[in-house]
Amino acid sequence: MNNLKAAYINELFKLYKKKKIYVAAILSAVSVAIGALISFLIKSFMGISALGGTNFPILVLPVLLNTLVSLFVVFICVDMFAGEFSANTIKFTLTTPVSRFKIFTSKVLAAVSFIFANLMLIMVLSLIASLFLPVSGGSILYVFSAYLVSVLPLTAFALMVILISNLTKGTTSAFMTSVILFLLFRGLELVFPAYSAIFFTSSYDWYTYFAAIGGYLNYGKILRLFLVQTGYITVFFTLGYTIFDKKQI
Amino acid sequence: MENAIVIKNLTKKYKNDRGVFDLNLTVEKGEIFGFLGPNGAGKTTAMKVMTGLSHADNGDVFLNGFSVRDDYEKATEKLGSIIETVTPYGYLTAMENMKMYARFYEGADEKRLEECLNLTGILKFKDEKVKNFSLGMKQRMGLALALVSNPEILILDEPLNGLDVEGMVEMRNLIVNLKNAYGTTFFISSHLIHDVELTCTKVGILYGGKLISTDTTENILKKYSSLENYYLSEVGTNE
Repeated sequence: MNNLKAAYINELFKLYKKKKIYVAAILSAVSVAIGALISFLIKSFMGISALGGTNFPILVLPVLLNTLVSLFVVFICVDMFAGEFSANTIKFTLTTPVSRFKIFTSKVLAAVSFIFANLMLIMVLSLIASLFLPVSGGSILYVFSAYLVSVLPLTAFALMVILISNLTKGTTSAFMTSVILFLLFRGLELVFPAYSAIFFTSSYDWYTYFAAIGGYLNYGKILRLFLVQTGYITVFFTLGYTIFDKKQI
Repeated sequence: MENAIVIKNLTKKYKNDRGVFDLNLTVEKGEIFGFLGPNGAGKTTAMKVMTGLSHADNGDVFLNGFSVRDDYEKATEKLGSIIETVTPYGYLTAMENMKMYARFYEGADEKRLEECLNLTGILKFKDEKVKNFSLGMKQRMGLALALVSNPEILILDEPLNGLDVEGMVEMRNLIVNLKNAYGTTFFISSHLIHDVELTCTKVGILYGGKLISTDTTENILKKYSSLENYYLSEVGTNE
């Protein structure tokens, strides 16, 4: 257990020392600021008031989930696996007295921590930005829930990228394959809406089912989507680990 | 004497038919074992399996009595290694790399890390990023990392690579001093046969993936004028 903790701290330390997370934080802040500015201009010039108040964080969430956050999940996960294998720095980690299962788990935990931190940062920034926008009401609890539950589909996506990073030989092919698969899944959801539930990316908007928090919630739908996502997470984790464990240096 | 390293029926075959075949070998605690062989003989392959970087097709390696395959964490608890090139994280400083390694070992505090960097002669560069290090400095860094755990076993693949003459002498002295002071067991591969002769207490020759000979340096030097002659004689009879 102590070895897992040490490996996890090391992964977080590596993330902290890389410029990518600072770029992610800066771009998140800039995106929120641009979103707030657009909302303000629409309100000022067109008189549409539906964009203000606590609705703003919910307005920003799907846009950033599908673009910036997913993109940085790809960057981080590709770097953790394909990047380390191609630079051979993985040897440093693999020669420590830690089993490959713990190393794999520590990397996944670090990726999930990044996702959580990035979402929380966007939530806080968008809540602050919404203070300067015309308020149209809304629940802070819903905003928090929406951002929190969005960690789950992003974790499934991160594990898919990790699986791809262990299958491909270089960082470029891992990155390109991940982005293409993400776009393909999103495209197939539109072409075959009846089968969208089988693509985990369709769960990106499952936070909308928490909108009635405090009132009536569609527990059946939430449970079904939760099971679909945890199913994907289990499958991607198992496959990713199996390939990682068999890798030869 | 207790065994530090036991290799049992180790086989690891690559697609090009090269590798290691049915390797059986025992190294006792406190020995400095020199692993010799021509390029492509399978030395690095065997060492990768010994450190868990590769998996064997068949057989197993036991370090301090623990199986590398089944009990990796215990087997490698008191192990330090350098396999092929040393690849610390270039965007981190030498000390940051050391601290990452130290998290896995109790008692590996800053004083111990500085001691390891000092032993390998790179303490003055501890705050420099590793990406700016020369090959020799990286090699010294690799040895410093390998020493963090106060290892009972050190597996070193070509440890003298990239070192200047002064560095080679320092490395040789360090190996002998660690053996004498702490009874550290060494498993070393090197092309520099003169250094092996000066350092190693026992020698094994790997040829075509098979162990063709093992003997103590003392016995070898009784029969041959130099380790080089012994090596050429053993390899020559197997060609």
